[in-house]
Amino acid sequence: MNGHVIVVGLGFGDEGKGSVVDALCHDGPPVASVVRFNGGAQAAHNVVAGGRHHTFSQFGSGTLAGVPTHLSRHVLVEPIALAAESRELAALGVRDPLGLLSVDAGALLTTPLHVRANRAREDARGDARHGSCGKGIGETVWYSLLAGARPGDVVEHQEVVGTPGAAPRVGDCADPAALRRKLDALARFYEPLIGAGTSVAELVSLYRDFADAVRITRGDEVGRLAGRGRLVFEGAQGVWLDQHHGFHPHTTWSTTTPANARELLRGRPATVLGVTRTYQTRHGAGPLPTEDPAVAARFPERHNATGRYQGAWRAGHLDAVLLERAVALCGGVDGLAVTHLDATGLKVVTSRGAPPEDMPDPLDWFARRHPVLVTGYGPDRADHAVLATGHGPDRAVRTCATIGA
Amino acid sequence: MGHGKWDDNAYAAARTFRAAKGIDDFGYTAAVRNRPRHEWRADPSMDPKGVVARECRDSAEHADSTPIAVLFDVTGSMGSVPKVMQRKLGKLHGLIQRKGYLADPQLMFGGIGDADSDRVPLQVGQFESDNRMDEQLRTIFLEGNGGGQKSESYELAAYFVARHVVTDAWRKRGRKGYLFLIGDELNKPRLEAKHVRRVIGDDVRQDIDPVSVYRELERRWHVHFVLPNQSAYYNDPEIADHWRGILGQRFLKLDDPGAVCELIAATIGLEERVVDLDQAMVDLAEVGSAAESESVGKALVGVGAGTLAKSAAPPALDGPDDVTLR
Repeated sequence: MNGHVIVVGLGFGDEGKGSVVDALCHDGPPVASVVRFNGGAQAAHNVVAGGRHHTFSQFGSGTLAGVPTHLSRHVLVEPIALAAESRELAALGVRDPLGLLSVDAGALLTTPLHVRANRAREDARGDARHGSCGKGIGETVWYSLLAGARPGDVVEHQEVVGTPGAAPRVGDCADPAALRRKLDALARFYEPLIGAGTSVAELVSLYRDFADAVRITRGDEVGRLAGRGRLVFEGAQGVWLDQHHGFHPHTTWSTTTPANARELLRGRPATVLGVTRTYQTRHGAGPLPTEDPAVAARFPERHNATGRYQGAWRAGHLDAVLLERAVALCGGVDGLAVTHLDATGLKVVTSRGAPPEDMPDPLDWFARRHPVLVTGYGPDRADHAVLATGHGPDRAVRTCATIGA
Repeated sequence: MGHGKWDDNAYAAARTFRAAKGIDDFGYTAAVRNRPRHEWRADPSMDPKGVVARECRDSAEHADSTPIAVLFDVTGSMGSVPKVMQRKLGKLHGLIQRKGYLADPQLMFGGIGDADSDRVPLQVGQFESDNRMDEQLRTIFLEGNGGGQKSESYELAAYFVARHVVTDAWRKRGRKGYLFLIGDELNKPRLEAKHVRRVIGDDVRQDIDPVSVYRELERRWHVHFVLPNQSAYYNDPEIADHWRGILGQRFLKLDDPGAVCELIAATIGLEERVVDLDQAMVDLAEVGSAAESESVGKALVGVGAGTLAKSAAPPALDGPDDVTLR
């Protein structure tokens, strides 16, 4: 596997992208930066490395391996949560985590106002919840789409209640006057839904501190970073939560396929690495065709609990139909990263409605379909291997020696 | 002043970002102490000299403002306590509001030193209800000296609050504010007229009996004195007797100075009759202050419900001076 790598989840999230990105940053050739190309503070990528565990949200999962993170303009940035995450990382021994971060000026800002509005809406849905994480992601995107809309208009199935303004972006944080104007408009817009929320003056001051503490970039930062070495593009969520391809309304307002990463790369070649577990999982509401409570019962999750807004953790047999369609939605993958290979007694559903079949050798099953480039047998970094060449159906090419190790 | 809401997470985030760019919580103190001693002074925003009044006003956003003034001793005998206060007090507003003890708390912070020996014996900020509180705390100069004669100029601070603070809570509703003095020594035997003139700028020509200052102050404020552990005289009975003599059960000993926010919040919750002591402890444990709640419980154990009556509407709002001249 040479050059840049795009890591994308082939399921409903929780495939193991975090540990795969960490393994690529730790075991492969030197990585110049991890680039986030979608999602925001709702990402939860678990990395376990030698007794240290962190659930990455806005920082890239290469942070414990010492690799900087770039948040591209496709990312939604929530500074308050970012600060909390930097404190958690500092507590794990990462020196100056905010110093490892650069953020594109064009990235949308998720504010406490968006978060409150998101929760107010999801609460109002009652039993018809979408499985939102309650972190303001959808609200941030929705508000950014309202330019020119008027009260009473319907944008993306939601009625516009007030007069929207331009969406606040990271670049505004360094310009208090511009930021204040945008936040004032935002606060007025959401007042009917959430009342008088966090004070704008407070947010302006806070975001100014944020702008001083992280490097804000303009122009083709990804191109500049690419000139320094390998980039690992870390996707958030999975293809089946994609805003265009997932099962509505149980989707996230984000392009989870490699499309954003490809666009940022501007034609530079990259390996697309699809991440999958050896079984299917899903957080919260929405379809999971091969769901079987017995699977969830067999593989308890250490780092995935039921979220107040997100809902329960669910699991089922590996769904070969969804897997291949996910690969197709990515425009094909160059290889797979297969995690949870330590799980035993697995079954796979190979066509819709068929009974689950036994899958005695999961690695062999995957390798017959696509080259396996990363294997993960457990939660820890030590249980992951970046393979020098793909692991194909012919066992002879199984080269488990990790690069650089 | 006093617009906006405060939020603990935002406070913590601002601190994190400031730390990342190398601005620490004690930046002002460090900068001032690097200068020669004769140049030490309060930040202009904290200097009481010539201030007509610090105001705690209602606004459209905060129609039922309640003033809370917290002034802490910044002299050497307090050890590391002033630093703890400067770090911890920023979350007080969020704590009070989140627990529903007061609808619209407005906070003012200040520092108390020794008018006989310190360059900066008194600092008082403005009433705020947003992140300017945090700036105010960071702008307090922790001088750290003091005289070593077991007394500090608490009465000078009390005099300022009595004479130079105007609150809508009192003027419009006859409601008392909350004053917390945090320290470890005695009042000076007399409030010297020359100190009032030099530090505050009032043209006072006669020394004043400190106890009479507290009498005047208590007509409009619930006045508390908190003696925190890790200060020099925590176990000195003379300090306890002195303050109990003036404030009765509103003298509070606090064995963990890190629990100051929780103590103040619980005291207000009790005083407002929003909670009883048991419920206050539950509230504090809920917001993650379980260890602190234990210290608070100990500090408040002597405070009976009998002392918690609210004041009636005052007959004359600003009343005559009733200090005793000496």
